[in-house]
Amino acid sequence: MPETPVRQIISPQSTEQVAEVLRRANEEKLVVEITGAGTKRRWGNDVAAVVQLDTTRLTGVREHSWQDLTATVAAGTPWTTMQSVLAMHGQRVALDPLWPDQATVGGVIATNDSGCLRLRYGSLRDLIIGMTVVLADGTIAKSGGKVVKNVAGYDIHKLMTGAFGTLGVIAEVTFRLHPLPKSSATWTITSNDISVLDRIRHQLADSMLSIEALQLRTRDKVFSLDVKFVTLPEALEEHARRLHAYVSPLSVEAGEESIWLSREGMFDGTRATVKVTFLPTHIASLISEIQDYGGSCVAQQSGTMIASIQPDAERIAALRQKIESAGGSLTVLRWPNDAAPRPDKWGPGGNALPLMREIKRRFDSNSILNPGRFVGGI
Amino acid sequence: MLNSTILEALRNAVDGDGKGTQSGLITATNQLQTYECDGLTNFRTLPGAVLLPRSTAQVQAIIRICAKHGIPFVARGAGTGLSGGALPAEGGIVISFARMTRILEIDIPNQRVVVEPGVINSHVTDAVAAYGYFYAPDPSSQTVCTLGGNVAENSGGAHCLKYGFTTTHVLGLEVVLPNGEVVTFGSGAPDTPGYDLTGVFVGSEGTLGVATKMTLRIVKRPEAVQVLLAAFDSTTAAAQTVSDIIAAGMLPAALEMMDRLSAQASEAAVHPNYPVSEALLLVELDGPEAEVNAQMLQVTALCQQNGAWEVRRAQTAEERALIWKGRKAAFAAMGRISPNYIVQDGVIPRTALPVVLEEITRMAAAVQLRVANVFHAGDGNLHPMVLYDQSIPGQEEIALDLSYRILYLCVDKGGSITGEHGVGKEKQQAMGYMFSEPDLETMQRVRHAFDPQNISNPDKLFPRTRFCAEKTGPYTPHPLESSGVAEFF
Repeated sequence: MPETPVRQIISPQSTEQVAEVLRRANEEKLVVEITGAGTKRRWGNDVAAVVQLDTTRLTGVREHSWQDLTATVAAGTPWTTMQSVLAMHGQRVALDPLWPDQATVGGVIATNDSGCLRLRYGSLRDLIIGMTVVLADGTIAKSGGKVVKNVAGYDIHKLMTGAFGTLGVIAEVTFRLHPLPKSSATWTITSNDISVLDRIRHQLADSMLSIEALQLRTRDKVFSLDVKFVTLPEALEEHARRLHAYVSPLSVEAGEESIWLSREGMFDGTRATVKVTFLPTHIASLISEIQDYGGSCVAQQSGTMIASIQPDAERIAALRQKIESAGGSLTVLRWPNDAAPRPDKWGPGGNALPLMREIKRRFDSNSILNPGRFVGGI
Repeated sequence: MLNSTILEALRNAVDGDGKGTQSGLITATNQLQTYECDGLTNFRTLPGAVLLPRSTAQVQAIIRICAKHGIPFVARGAGTGLSGGALPAEGGIVISFARMTRILEIDIPNQRVVVEPGVINSHVTDAVAAYGYFYAPDPSSQTVCTLGGNVAENSGGAHCLKYGFTTTHVLGLEVVLPNGEVVTFGSGAPDTPGYDLTGVFVGSEGTLGVATKMTLRIVKRPEAVQVLLAAFDSTTAAAQTVSDIIAAGMLPAALEMMDRLSAQASEAAVHPNYPVSEALLLVELDGPEAEVNAQMLQVTALCQQNGAWEVRRAQTAEERALIWKGRKAAFAAMGRISPNYIVQDGVIPRTALPVVLEEITRMAAAVQLRVANVFHAGDGNLHPMVLYDQSIPGQEEIALDLSYRILYLCVDKGGSITGEHGVGKEKQQAMGYMFSEPDLETMQRVRHAFDPQNISNPDKLFPRTRFCAEKTGPYTPHPLESSGVAEFF
């Protein structure tokens, strides 16, 4: 829970109510913290807010045009609730965020969360085709639309995705959907030699197989490579045969579906949790590094990793420097309350930081929306 | 606007000590005329000067001069854009990327390339094909259009239903901002901390600055590709087939539809041997061989269930190419059946197709004109072509008016005024029909954050007050198109 007391919690039920709340807060320059289910509230810096704008009453799948493969959803809808509505027509938003049973659509978008499916279907920026946002001054603005293909105007929804609520409140979002796969198979290969698994990973990534997810993980000095094929039942057998050929002489085991959410296990106990992004060819060296550090991690072929490590701010800063020099990034997602000193959660922010500050100023001139939460103190 | 001191500074910016073999500054009127329009040829404005930089540093030097003196500039690749995106401002500067054409890095293990903006789209695929990869966004002008232009317009293509648009394939950018600063957006790795500036820059039509380096994703070639052509007695039956394919959980690489008039024109132009029918459906499937084979059977069955009286599967690469050739030539082929035509670029929810086509027919009949339709059926992108005869007094204006009313109809049905050609100069007014004032004002906040002086491709994209004497006009073919080098798509 946040360290600064929240004085007032407001739970609007409509976009217009959100606009009214923000308009008033902006007039009185009251700092507003936007929350969904709170599953990722500690990501980013703490916010000293007077008003907590709770979005969990903005719920419901407003429209599911299943023949057009699109759906419009209110931001406070829990991810799984949305998916079960879409599944009635055999469709889904092809993204697997953390804690989907609780996490709200808006929160997932604001933090730009993604999982294993990113490899095949892209991240939220590839799946969101339109959005309604409420700006700090109460302006209700739409961008994009309800059609998959559309190049009219700026993609404001891309700016909002991953902005941690610093530019506006996401009220409604329109997704492009994908059909639920008819059949799939998950396989796991385990070894204590990361280089062997990395070679197989590379072969799979460079193959023409129909791969939905590909991840490498380590825990207790053992490495595992997980791969998920999605194709028609008649092609699955052939996929398994080819996998065995790549893997031989190692053995392959049928994997559990639950391993695709194993990154949730990186948020536990007294350790710190970090998100690392990287180029795929650095995956093995990074995992070794995390392991040398006494940590465990789950890394995706798409270039994101969630790792659980000792909360040592100095060591994390050094690790970040190394990762950044290789073209990646490190952000701290979770830090134990009693661990001191505290780290810089975001890192330096790059040479576009002044431009980002200017965008923030244009969208929220009084800096009332989640001030200080984001990179560079935005 | 450009006095001799400014011109000298610009010359220095691109020629340095003057020892270069060829000057990077063009000021002669006859040479400037090459740059007075892009693929939307009815809008023409002579620029004050054209600059041909060779490096990011030179682009930066040019833009610093522009910023200092408040001179408008526009970047230009091959000039194939269809909405006037590369149209210069009166007396402004054109920054041509004709000399920044290097592929800087090919990184197969990480499935990405780094390119300069003047690189031609299909050259990326040429460079990585030997490794079994390709660059997925495929606008039909891909053999001539540049990646800088693709990034500015967020270009699409027939295969973006499955593979996504340009925006999906841009991982990072080096950009010269309108104040002359060089900044980096994103990187080769995902989720760079901060706002997704790459996401907002792609498709901003040159209004937020100039990209000088791009990191792009490349994709592994599919194992198998198959194409099917089906003939129907009505567009409704063809549209239902599309819905059935989607409902069956398939995501074809391409799903294209042509009506009788466009098929006739293609037949006359490139003889693809299309069956004569009210609606032709072209389905391309790709992926692992076993998957494609099974899905092709399913698609064939769905076509037949919806009354397709001919279903043709391309057996060879040549047959496949022939089927595609007819589709790709559809725009240019209109010349065979009409002296003049206007092509539009609306988007509708796929399910609205039968209603929209019926309404277009009614609207066209009311003004005694014909409209041919080509449709990226998978993603709802409709290209109506309004046929008319310029030599009949007043018909051009009627045709133009009809073309805009068709766009408004698309918006009314929940769609968009542009799926891939961009707003540019052509559809500025239509933006006001699609978006409300607060929507546009929010976009302007972004614009002002990037470009407070309003010098980066000004007077594009956003609606403006139209002057009484201003000429708007119908489509006239770009020289590249007339010569058969580029095609509309």
